Amino acid sequence: MFSGLVITGQTVAFFLIALFLIACGVMLLSMKKVIYMAISIGGVFIGAAAVYILLEADFLAFAQVLVYAGAITIMLLFAIMLTKHDELERPAVITAHPVWSVLGTAGLGLIVLWVVKFSGIKWPQATADSPFQGQDNVKMIGESLFSQYVIPFELVSVVLIVALVGAITLANKEEKN
Amino acid sequence: MLSVEQFLTLGAILFCIGLFGALTKRNIIIVLVSVELMLTAVNINLLTFARFGLTPSINGQIFTLFVMTIAAAEVAVGLAILIALYRNRNTSDVRDQDLMKW
Amino acid sequence: MVQNAWLIPLFPLVAYLLLFVLGRRAQEGIVTGISVLAALAGFIVSLLILSDVNANGAQAPYVFHWLTVGQHSLSMGYEVTPLNAMMLTVVTFISTLVLLFSKGYMHGDERYSVFYQYLNLFIFSMLGLVISPNLLQVYMFWELVGLCSFLLVGFWYFKPEAAAAAKKAFIVTRIGDVGLFIGIVLIYVATGTFEYSGVFEAFQAKKFAIDWITPDHLITLIGILVFIGAIGKSAQFPLHTWLPDAMEGPTPVSALIHAATMVAAGVYLVARAFPIFEASPDTLTVIGIIGGITAIFAALIGLTQNDIKRVVAYSTVSQLGYMVMALGVSAYTASTFHLMTHAFFKALLFLASGSVIHAIHHNQDLRKMGGLWKKLPLTGWTFLVGALALSGIPPFAGFWSKDEILLGAYNSGHYVLFTLALIAAFCTAFYIFRVFFMTFTGEFRGEKDVYDHAHESGPVMAIPLVLLSIMAIVVGFLNSPLMNNAFEHFLFKGGEEIGNVYEANWGMAGLATLVALLGIGLAYLMYKKQSIKPENLANGALRPLYQLSLNKFYVDELYHYVIVKPVVWIGHILNFIDKWIVDGIVHLFGEGTLIGSLGLKYSQNGQVQTYGLVTLVGAVLLIGFAMYAVGGVK
Repeated sequence: MFSGLVITGQTVAFFLIALFLIACGVMLLSMKKVIYMAISIGGVFIGAAAVYILLEADFLAFAQVLVYAGAITIMLLFAIMLTKHDELERPAVITAHPVWSVLGTAGLGLIVLWVVKFSGIKWPQATADSPFQGQDNVKMIGESLFSQYVIPFELVSVVLIVALVGAITLANKEEKN
Repeated sequence: MLSVEQFLTLGAILFCIGLFGALTKRNIIIVLVSVELMLTAVNINLLTFARFGLTPSINGQIFTLFVMTIAAAEVAVGLAILIALYRNRNTSDVRDQDLMKW
Repeated sequence: MVQNAWLIPLFPLVAYLLLFVLGRRAQEGIVTGISVLAALAGFIVSLLILSDVNANGAQAPYVFHWLTVGQHSLSMGYEVTPLNAMMLTVVTFISTLVLLFSKGYMHGDERYSVFYQYLNLFIFSMLGLVISPNLLQVYMFWELVGLCSFLLVGFWYFKPEAAAAAKKAFIVTRIGDVGLFIGIVLIYVATGTFEYSGVFEAFQAKKFAIDWITPDHLITLIGILVFIGAIGKSAQFPLHTWLPDAMEGPTPVSALIHAATMVAAGVYLVARAFPIFEASPDTLTVIGIIGGITAIFAALIGLTQNDIKRVVAYSTVSQLGYMVMALGVSAYTASTFHLMTHAFFKALLFLASGSVIHAIHHNQDLRKMGGLWKKLPLTGWTFLVGALALSGIPPFAGFWSKDEILLGAYNSGHYVLFTLALIAAFCTAFYIFRVFFMTFTGEFRGEKDVYDHAHESGPVMAIPLVLLSIMAIVVGFLNSPLMNNAFEHFLFKGGEEIGNVYEANWGMAGLATLVALLGIGLAYLMYKKQSIKPENLANGALRPLYQLSLNKFYVDELYHYVIVKPVVWIGHILNFIDKWIVDGIVHLFGEGTLIGSLGLKYSQNGQVQTYGLVTLVGAVLLIGFAMYAVGGVK
């Protein structure tokens, strides 16, 4: 499966991180308490940030930590606390729904894995040299964002504002007549 | 040496975990979280091709940035809806939200 | 003057529209005034036209192009021939009087104005029918008068009998109309024209565009088909059953439509289109036989009826039979002359009956009348004039015309028809004087209260009676040797002579008068002197015959069982098929869809995760299938 794998620091790091990520994902699925699930997603987000670093996306790794592991996880915790957070996940009853869910998910996963591994697609060979060698990641992103992608960037900022206002409006308690 | 396949496999596994969670978890927050997980898996894919693709470029990273922004917005709105819903119906179980059935 | 003939139908049409605009609540006086004035104007124009025609003879029709359908060009127009002019005068004259009479008869009716609207519409249609120069136009007006007849017979639609009678009148005449329609279509296909003149020429030349039948047979076929229309409209045997039932309508309607004008339309049509019939001896024979049968048949039924209007109605049928028979034996002049005289004296009889009925609170049963002479002297006198005219006593109108018909039948060699007509004449005299004696002489057999209050109904009803009586006396002289057969000369002015004309025969006149007098004498003995008890005859040896006549030879029952019942049964069967098979299939689809949706709706459980799962499974299957189909990732 991993024929021709050369053990280097990077590969070791990758496998450790991948293991951690999958472990956190499985925890997310298997935990009983909602609060533990939220914490395990925090682990997933941090692990993902590590993967980003391996992929030489430094800025995104920091952004991932800040936005996901920081803001979003905290927000989720607040949401959990505001609702019935002490309620346990009801014991799973084996009905058609979870069975079909397993089948569907596994089917999709198998298809994707087959495509990745066994379909004979010639994936681009990773080069030892990074294509971004010696370049400032943040500077590159900044230049691209404010030149080529300036309009989407502005639009996204509008979306964020709208989402912010919308979220406040929705969560705001309605005035009792 | 790292290869494309390793990252793609990792992304696929995470995506499937997220999908399964979204389809089976009963707490709406966790469903939302699972969707975030799927988005993260997608991000990993994007970054992989930005780094190892036929024509490596910074565009993949820009896309990921946008996805993260939209995901943040989505979580914010989603949680707001959840709070409003919970206030009205006093439950955060996704199976109780079935007003649209026959 | 003839070119202004179109004015005549216009007057009643305008009156109709005016009344329609004025609405139902218009005052009775205004309504009557408008209607009578319109009819009177029509009458005056008719008189002018009559004198014009009398001076100058028939003129070419005034025709204008109407529309073009494909290669067929249709035209409309009007024409005045001596026959038309006579009909116009008669129709407008009687219309005027009937409209006047109705003021008294319909006084206080809730739908007084509507009644006048219908009457005006009818008069318009009838006049339009008369002046039509082509068969298509005739057919349109033919249907219009049928419609008006339906509306007026069913005028008191809240009476079930009236509603049923209206339907019957419409449906039965419709049977005849179908024949007429087919006939007209055949004529058009065969000759390529609807115009009388063109059709007559084609029939004379015997050149037709139809080749699946020999010209002679075609002529007979068309003649009989057109005659079927006349059978329906003029209530000839075997379609006569509607006319007596139509007496459920108001009496002025009976007088105008079912005595003088519309029922005469059939006879008029045959007379107007006589060359079509004359071209085939077979058709003429059929016409003569039908007319003879109708004359005797209706007269026999009339002997025993107890409803005053029905007796008069059967007498109408019988007299129409005379006219048709006369046409059948080519006694053209006699027929049209009888048509005219009959219009006057039969309208008179109806209006007089109406006066009687009106006076005794709308009772029509002869058995509850009697001794009304003292109360209604004017009505009595006028009825007597009408009865004498109908019976054919000289010098009243009926004598001259009926005598000519008898003469025509005798001279043409149809001795059977002649005998039938003679017997019918006897019956006619008998039954009309039976009515006269039962109504006006003896003791009143109804409630005393009613008798005490009976009285004449004032000038609006008296004037028409008197005028019609005068006409019933004098109009017969028009074609008598005393006036040198003026009517005959008038009728053929500016054209060829049609049919056979015979010299007056005083022996025949004497015979006819004798027969009529015998009938009157018998009626006198039975119903005035009571020396022969009618009850004894009815319950004695003649009982079967009496029953047969009283029940109208069971024709209605026969139709009921032979035609109506099977049709109703077919209706039931079709209804069953429609309800259970056609509707069943339709319902099957409906119910199937409903049940299917009932089942399907449970798939909509409102669970977002289920929807997501279904989407996922679907996507996986699709992707898997697609990849399998193309063999992996290409």
